[in-house]
Amino acid sequence: MMTASPPFLRRWLHQWLSRRIPAGPRQRLSHRSIFILPSGFGLMWLLLTLLLFLFGTNYQNNLVIGLSLLLASVFVSAILHSYRNLAGLCIHALPPTEVYAGDTVAIPLKVSADSQLYQVQLGYPAGQMMTASQISSQPQIIALPVTTSKRGWLTPGRLLIESRFPLGLCRVWSWVDLDNRILVYPALRQSPLQLQGHSDDGVHSLHHQPGIDEFSGLKSWHPGESLKQVAWKQYAQGRGMLSKEFADPQGQPVWLQLAPALNAIQLEQALQQLCWQVDILARQQRSWGLKLAHQVITPSAGEPHRRNCLAALALYQPTAEPKDE
Amino acid sequence: MNSSDHLSRRTLFWLLLTNIAVLLPLYDKITVATLGICAICFIWRLGIYLGKVSRPPRLLVTLLALSAAITLALVSREMGLLNALINLLILGYALKYIEARIRRDVLAIILAGYFLIALTFIDHQGMGNVLLLLPVTAINTLTLVSLYRDDCSAATQSWLTVKLLLQSLPLTLLLFIVMPRFAPLWMVPQMKSASTGLTDEVGFGDISRLTRSSDLAFRATFDGPVPPPQALYWRALVLEDFDGKHWRQAPTTKALQHKVNLLKPNRTPPKGNSRSYRVIAEGSGQQWLFAIGNAFSDTQGVFNLPDYRLYAGRPLQQKFQYRVQQYVNAPLHEEPLSNAERERNLALPSSVNPRTRALAQQFVTAYPQPEPRLDAMMRYFNQQPFFYTLTPPVTGPQQLDDFLFETRAGFCAHYASAFTFMARASGVPARLVTGYQGGEFNADAGYLSVYQYMAHAWSEVWLADRGWVRFDPTAMIAPQRIEQGFDSLFAPQDSYLAGTAFSGIRSSAWYNQLRLRLASLDYYWTVWVLGFNGERQQQVLRGLLGEITTTRIAFLVLGVMTLIFIIIGYSAGLIALPTRQPQLDRDFRRISRLAARKGIVRATGCGPKDYVQQLIQHWPEQQKPLTEWRELYLQLKYAKLSPVTQRITAKRFHRLTAQLWLQLLRTAPRAAAESTPATLSATNR
Repeated sequence: MMTASPPFLRRWLHQWLSRRIPAGPRQRLSHRSIFILPSGFGLMWLLLTLLLFLFGTNYQNNLVIGLSLLLASVFVSAILHSYRNLAGLCIHALPPTEVYAGDTVAIPLKVSADSQLYQVQLGYPAGQMMTASQISSQPQIIALPVTTSKRGWLTPGRLLIESRFPLGLCRVWSWVDLDNRILVYPALRQSPLQLQGHSDDGVHSLHHQPGIDEFSGLKSWHPGESLKQVAWKQYAQGRGMLSKEFADPQGQPVWLQLAPALNAIQLEQALQQLCWQVDILARQQRSWGLKLAHQVITPSAGEPHRRNCLAALALYQPTAEPKDE
Repeated sequence: MNSSDHLSRRTLFWLLLTNIAVLLPLYDKITVATLGICAICFIWRLGIYLGKVSRPPRLLVTLLALSAAITLALVSREMGLLNALINLLILGYALKYIEARIRRDVLAIILAGYFLIALTFIDHQGMGNVLLLLPVTAINTLTLVSLYRDDCSAATQSWLTVKLLLQSLPLTLLLFIVMPRFAPLWMVPQMKSASTGLTDEVGFGDISRLTRSSDLAFRATFDGPVPPPQALYWRALVLEDFDGKHWRQAPTTKALQHKVNLLKPNRTPPKGNSRSYRVIAEGSGQQWLFAIGNAFSDTQGVFNLPDYRLYAGRPLQQKFQYRVQQYVNAPLHEEPLSNAERERNLALPSSVNPRTRALAQQFVTAYPQPEPRLDAMMRYFNQQPFFYTLTPPVTGPQQLDDFLFETRAGFCAHYASAFTFMARASGVPARLVTGYQGGEFNADAGYLSVYQYMAHAWSEVWLADRGWVRFDPTAMIAPQRIEQGFDSLFAPQDSYLAGTAFSGIRSSAWYNQLRLRLASLDYYWTVWVLGFNGERQQQVLRGLLGEITTTRIAFLVLGVMTLIFIIIGYSAGLIALPTRQPQLDRDFRRISRLAARKGIVRATGCGPKDYVQQLIQHWPEQQKPLTEWRELYLQLKYAKLSPVTQRITAKRFHRLTAQLWLQLLRTAPRAAAESTPATLSATNR
């Protein structure tokens, strides 16, 4: 529906929708956000009703007229039942799993409802519709597949929630914006490890780079750092949370570096290869640093560091102004 | 096309059931060929359901459909257009059914199913049939429901269907009452059905066929008191031509009837006293209607023929209702008899029944005046040993001679025939009239039922100053038959119920009672459902609204619809009545609200224990009751108390709340004077 209309209409619809159903991570469907129109079958049903009425009139047959009126009344009841089948539906976006470009990401949604809802279909414009056969007050998690094509932030768009229960006469639907976006990492491209030493060769040769191989001292611990590195002995002595600093001997190649001056395709390939290498290093629990054109991530290890690097690769913009030296 | 398009096994099962349920009531309209194809489709579908065969190739289905349609088109003339159309629809239904694969196919089948149900109503309008077709409609709907709820038990699906239909019934009723009724918008093909009841030709064997039928012919409701049985001579046909064996309608009458819609014959109603009644004629396939004496009808579609009969504009395919004014004192005599009419009503085939003619001549010589002569003829039937029987002996070629002088046994057609013949032979214009005589009164519902076995024949004789006068010679043989009705004269074995299982029990009182009850139920059904026309509608609306205006109807519709919506909304769980909080919570809220008004706001996430502590800090003088209040609250809320203790504690808590409330209301909280409520709530000293 949204995709079939001309662009200006789509734009207008988007604007109107964002005013009518504002974005938010938690949505509860009510009369403000539920739309209802007869489905194609519903229109056929109404046509049949009209046909039967004419038929009954021409044959002066009250029973046929009665049947047509019954069908019309069923249509009216179905409108109420259809509306009820979406009213009170609560949707809450959960953080998605990580995804590499080209893969399908499952966006998990937590859904629940005040009353029992049946045969509710949910789906993003870019993905497949999933059917929840029953939704009750007990929250359940539905993962909606969305295919990704390129790295960077992916906004899945407005979530379509649709139902035709109980008779398929009415299409009840809502477009809600859960205000969620997904960071898509570059696709993985197999490549050998290409670690390099420090770029400024020789000059800082006496210094150690932070790493995990050699103990170099203690520093105060910050939340987020690995608990493995906490100096528990010192903590027990009441000196507070300190973390052990390790360092890799200088000169050992720890840097992943983006090759400069590339065209767009080569750049993407390089990013994809870096992505692969980051994952390999993380799996080997080694320490590494990442150097991009305008961004340097100092060598470290662990899951947060890996995610940091992948995010940097995902969001890398070659034309962006350098932030720092 | 996503996964939900595939049909669940449950849906396929309901589809099998729906197919049978929809097609079965149409049994009398299905031709043998159609039935064969339907059976093949059903068996094939059953095979698919059981996993024995695969879906038929598309080409086969198309070929079958084409050949069947062509065959039907070829025979449509002899079977009637409507019947052919019905069969075509049934075929389409069966063939679509066999190749149903996805949801869309099933939707088409369901819509066609509703249409077939409507077609069943064309000539099955009895209450029993409707009671039968309601479940069929429900099953058809159930198949639809199963498409959208395939993950639950059959019982749940059925319940949902029944709920939906029941919720729709009130609105249906409302619409049925207020929906305007129109006259037929265009001509439609009618069912080709056998006509029943009287025929326009009477011979010696014809009426006896009717006297064996207990089918209803028509019902009549009188506005005033019901006339006595001997006055109930319902005229239907006037037969003027006699060929020695049969009485027939005159060609001019036939021509007029044939072009009745074109010529639109009418009369001006006479003046004088009138009695009005309403007749609901059963579908007979004929056009003649039934009325007593000098009758006039202003109902649309009814024509008033010059021989005082009423005639419908089209054959009665279903029950037909019309109003009649009967001018009690007016004779059947407005214009003098024309010469052509006189000749026609004196004409007799030559050399037929010479003995009867001779008898008529004897009457002429004995009674020169027509009226005494006719009376004498009537008495003749009474004085000679004539018998009334429904199984008269066979007569020879001179029928009337044989009857009058040899067998002397027969029924109304014999007597009326003989009397009319004698009247004509003696020079008095006379004609045979057929119709019904009498009626069974149903005191429950206040109407007369006239059955086919009440069919009767009598004579009308033209007397110059009195017009057409009725003479019923049958009354002379068996006067009881006319005075007390047909049933009292004959033992059931002799008449219409001979050979049926009911012969024995028919005489029992409870059976008669039950029969009358059912008959009145059927009468109400006919009047209020089948015969609910514009006139009835006005009557009902006037009863409901007083005066019919658009505004009032709009208010009625809106009002009832709102009510229905509220009921449906409530039962569907859309509208929830605010539930009353438990007394305990209300008491607690009462205190906290008062405290809040005085500036002590309960911090979010602050438990009841801490909250009461907070209150104590502001009202230290109330420490004792507040502590007790808190303990009681905690007990009631969290401890498991026996019912008795529970009640006592709750009462104490309630009373304590009231006291506390008063105390807190009277005294200002400490430290409330120097700081604002906002800071107070934040500082929790």
